[in-house]
Amino acid sequence: MTPPEIEAYVDAAAAALNLPLSAAHRPGVLHYFALAAGLADLIAAHPLTIADEPAEVFVPISPAGHGAA
Amino acid sequence: MMMTTAAELLVRRDAGGIAEAVRAGAVSATQLAHASLERIAQTDPRINAFTDVTARRALDSAAALDARLAVGDSVAHALPLLGVPFAVKNLFDVAGLTTLAGSKVERGRPAAAGDGPLVRRMQAAGAVLVGALNMDEYAYGFTTENTHEGPTHNPHDPTRTAGGSSGGSAAAVAAGQVPITLGSDTNGSIRVPASLCGIFGLKPTYGRLPRNGTYPFVASLDHLGPFARSARDLALVFDVLQGFDALDAACVNRPVEPTARTLAEGAQGLRIATLGGYFTEHAQPEALAAVARVASALGATRTVELPEVARARAAAFLISNAEGGALHLPDLRTRADDFEPLSRDRFLAGALLPAAWVVQAQRVRRWFARQAAELFRDVDVLLAPATPCVAPAIGTEWIEINGQRLPARASLGLLTQPISCIGLPVCAVPVWGCHAGLPIGVQVIAAPWREDLVLRVAHELQQQGVATAPVAMMLEAAA
Repeated sequence: MTPPEIEAYVDAAAAALNLPLSAAHRPGVLHYFALAAGLADLIAAHPLTIADEPAEVFVPISPAGHGAA
Repeated sequence: MMMTTAAELLVRRDAGGIAEAVRAGAVSATQLAHASLERIAQTDPRINAFTDVTARRALDSAAALDARLAVGDSVAHALPLLGVPFAVKNLFDVAGLTTLAGSKVERGRPAAAGDGPLVRRMQAAGAVLVGALNMDEYAYGFTTENTHEGPTHNPHDPTRTAGGSSGGSAAAVAAGQVPITLGSDTNGSIRVPASLCGIFGLKPTYGRLPRNGTYPFVASLDHLGPFARSARDLALVFDVLQGFDALDAACVNRPVEPTARTLAEGAQGLRIATLGGYFTEHAQPEALAAVARVASALGATRTVELPEVARARAAAFLISNAEGGALHLPDLRTRADDFEPLSRDRFLAGALLPAAWVVQAQRVRRWFARQAAELFRDVDVLLAPATPCVAPAIGTEWIEINGQRLPARASLGLLTQPISCIGLPVCAVPVWGCHAGLPIGVQVIAAPWREDLVLRVAHELQQQGVATAPVAMMLEAAA
């Protein structure tokens, strides 16, 4: 993402989440978002297959007294 | 005279030795509690490890133990941590204290109604809680430069950072205030401060110890674990802490797998290799020297590599950023100015990350875990530096590693983050003599659920004198 793209995205996403960004905080937020974007590029470039599922796995929860949670 | 004995025991013996002294009647739990409280009073103005001292509770708990011993209670007599003072990072629930997690935001909130499970297990094993410890706000940092509470100072050089985010936990042990503390590690927050303060730290396998009753940071990556001045103590405490709790969604229902009884097996028969590539490229000479010394002591001559370590680290960074930001979104909306200035803007940015980045990070994480599992078919234990360098001065903004100028605070976790990303058990062991006056840690890493192996190797290194965790001498001279 280019710096203008980051600014546009950050402002739009903050508005969508109802997250006010004060003038004092916004430069730091843009800096850290740019850092995250660079790391996202790094992992986006990594080849994966459909077998590579996300590491998070949901564990269903049984009612109390009906075996393991 | 007896108080002198208790004070000496506190700084000269490990927790196992202290419990033996109580069991033998050489010292009482009450005398030890007093000795710990006095040492905290003497040394903490220079260290700033404690945010709460629970003196009344400590003295009451110790008196109750002494009363049981006085009437010949054989159960009390056999407790593994009999009379051992301990303290916890202030993200653990402690009955009657507000769980601060290093923040200003939580200060007005109600006190915890009860102790978290690990605090309860410590107490049930005979340990005596003396207080709660400083940390980076909401565990998002590697230096414990907490603007609300002030920084925790490294006991071996108070101008330097203790590391973080469990900086108070590491400093309290290095300062001899308590022999055992508990902390948390999401990206390195046990291993980094253990390395910089020159003590032993254990980050167990992800899912091993229940995390309910603590303030979370990143549910996908959070671990809890102990700090100590010996590998034996880590094993004693880890064995006490084990056990399933269904209230932590990530806790895996496994039987308790004791580690203390296999410590003496040492490194015999283990296939041990040093991690090269990324782990040597992001370390200064003193960190590499510490790994070389450990490898030599263990007879480990092989170097192996994990693939795509930088991507694993990136995945852990993005998952942490997004989950941390989302967790605090309600407070970020209404009172961002009350957050720690050193991490506030990172939390705000993390709340805005696109979902696709985070899902991709979780997929890369699983891919990387598979690669590590493949490597562990051929090796039992891996060695790597715990931090790229020794403790930087408090306030350091930049460090140089292999000619690269990097932000100091984030970079202290460069070598721990890829390992916790996939939940491997790690013992950070302290090595001296690779820097003029400061310790540095080495990560001893094993396959999931093999805490027994990392503790065996750590114990072996301590037996050989390669890994040592003395109480800070400067404090000894001043106290």
